[in-house]
Amino acid sequence: MSEHTPGNHNQSAQGAGAGTMKPGFHNTDGQGIAGHGSFFQATDLSREDAVKATDWVRKHVDRRTIDLGDRMDDVREHMYELEKDGQIIIHRIGDQHEPVGVKTLFGWEKQIPTKQLWHHKSCGQCGNIPGYPTSLLWFMNKFGFVPGKDYLDETDQTSCTAWNYHGSGIGNVESLAAVFLRNFHQAYVAGKQHGHELGHFFPLVHCGTSFGNYKEIRKYLVESAELREKVTKILGKLGRLVDGKLVIPEEIIHYSEWVHVMRDRIASELQTIDVSNIRTTAHVACHYYKMVHEDAIYDPDVLGGNRTAIITSTAKALGAQVIDYSTWYDCCGFGFRHIISEREFTRSFTMDRKIKVVREEANADVLLANDTGCVTTMDKNQWIGKAHEQDFQVPIMAEVQFAALACGADPFKIVQLQWHASPCEDLVEKMGISWSEAKKNFQAYLKEVEAGNIEYLYNPELAYGGKA
Amino acid sequence: MATYAEMQQIFDDIRGDFRYDHELNGCLNCGICTATCPSAQFYDYSPREIVQLLWTENVEQIYDAMQEKIWACAQCMTCAARCPFKNSPGGLVAIMREVAIKHEMQSAKDVLRPFGRVMLKLITTGNQLSPDMIQPDHFPDWGPNIQKVEGDLRVLRKAIPVKTLQTVETAWEVSLKTSVEMYTIWEMTGVLKSLELMDENLFDVIEDFIDEKREDYEDWLEEQEEDDD
Repeated sequence: MSEHTPGNHNQSAQGAGAGTMKPGFHNTDGQGIAGHGSFFQATDLSREDAVKATDWVRKHVDRRTIDLGDRMDDVREHMYELEKDGQIIIHRIGDQHEPVGVKTLFGWEKQIPTKQLWHHKSCGQCGNIPGYPTSLLWFMNKFGFVPGKDYLDETDQTSCTAWNYHGSGIGNVESLAAVFLRNFHQAYVAGKQHGHELGHFFPLVHCGTSFGNYKEIRKYLVESAELREKVTKILGKLGRLVDGKLVIPEEIIHYSEWVHVMRDRIASELQTIDVSNIRTTAHVACHYYKMVHEDAIYDPDVLGGNRTAIITSTAKALGAQVIDYSTWYDCCGFGFRHIISEREFTRSFTMDRKIKVVREEANADVLLANDTGCVTTMDKNQWIGKAHEQDFQVPIMAEVQFAALACGADPFKIVQLQWHASPCEDLVEKMGISWSEAKKNFQAYLKEVEAGNIEYLYNPELAYGGKA
Repeated sequence: MATYAEMQQIFDDIRGDFRYDHELNGCLNCGICTATCPSAQFYDYSPREIVQLLWTENVEQIYDAMQEKIWACAQCMTCAARCPFKNSPGGLVAIMREVAIKHEMQSAKDVLRPFGRVMLKLITTGNQLSPDMIQPDHFPDWGPNIQKVEGDLRVLRKAIPVKTLQTVETAWEVSLKTSVEMYTIWEMTGVLKSLELMDENLFDVIEDFIDEKREDYEDWLEEQEEDDD
């Protein structure tokens, strides 16, 4: 038999040979190293040289440095060209917005403005989970932001209308684009009535679906001259052009991105409650990171950069435990139309793939989310599980609500947990806050409200264009 | 049942959408889209099948899929995030739904009828839903503990410390001027026309509402002018 006969290459290797096994070499047949095939030959490198040769394997592989991004256009570059060409005006993020730089999926830079923000509200949050926007505004006040200067919430805003579009198919790219441009034009000019320059306020989008939809529509607008021409006619009729041009924002910013870049300040300047005993799990909205996925925030220090950093980064900054679960990537089951008219699907999916898993695998104290439909779906569909012998309960809320609780916000007046169906009282009690005391105080406050003594986060006149 | 020529026209309308070439770039039949699809777990629906039918231009089966299957999609776009070809099956479904409405398919009318309440709210107010829609009577499956504090809805909403949110019939207060601007968008982009094709009664209600709001806005403008004088 030749020395080079397949299967014989390692006959002479130390520890080889029938019946012998070198420690660590799980060689059961004397034919080289199991799992490497019979052609394997030892390199005979010294330990030092072997470590040197394989060092690259041990290095952290930052997926964002892989050239995937090269295969994808950065829409912002095309926007700058269109602006240079005199076709559009870009609503830019400037130093006055005190931006913080982050990295997105492919390592691209994204600037997150932290001040002078125009609140683009979410219909599902405002209508159903008002603790989202109230907690957010509460944080801004806590940081000393001046309403009317550092942020603005007003009545001149419609929903993005994308919930309806994704649910029904009624609507089209043109209508979605016109709604996007109308709302964002208002954000661009809103500062004027408060004595500021054009572009003073930068839009902060509260809803995950609005965020995904607007980014998708922005791409279509930048790409299609025909679409721009059509919507320019509409925006012109509405008086929503600037120098005859469309105004398109340099970045589209989600509220959870603001929370992400402010997380260390939230923890160091405002946190009053130790949450190290709290087991948190995260459900990031599909429309945050699966639509126009190149724009979602990734951070190598959060989950190894392998998942978007949003939510988890905030839980970590607050010192809470971050617990994984196997179905983290799944949608919540909202479905847009399904939650209204095919609820059997919505509640079955959310119970099977989210609530049950988070309860059984992670034994979570809370499931944190960052969107409207997800919180509604997962919060409201737990009770019905009992009908199918699936009695799983987990408190559901936004990360900004959890952060507000950790910073001493009132669970009712500010975090507005009275609108949640899931057992949020369990979490609140575990954080050392008395639910019953807070509820008693809130019920007393309701009497004050009836008497017209209402507490506000900002002067209500501001919402109608009045002074702060 | 549509004729072959009608089915071909439906496919041509799908293919004619300018997004079509974005959303469909090829297909390996790998099925990762279906593997990650929430709807595929509960319905006779597969995003891979939708992509294959379009890719192979199978106009008859595309027409069949538009009867029911396309309405199963949850529009989460997980399929789009996973596809190695950068297809967006969810995006293709959105186009197919628009075309189903344009062609007045009975299946689309049937599917959308229970969604009318949301459409009415959206088209007339600029909000998709409102606090008065999310009450125990409408959602008995959400259980008796749908809220943690009993009380009059108006008072509970007044206890939200943000002025724009102290509403009951809309999620937030939308100014009259803003609503009127939105009606113009609906008209100029053919959205009202689509609505009329789907549900004539709902369209009539909405049209009356819009007319009334426009009159209110005209009156308000006149009052402003008088005040200025």
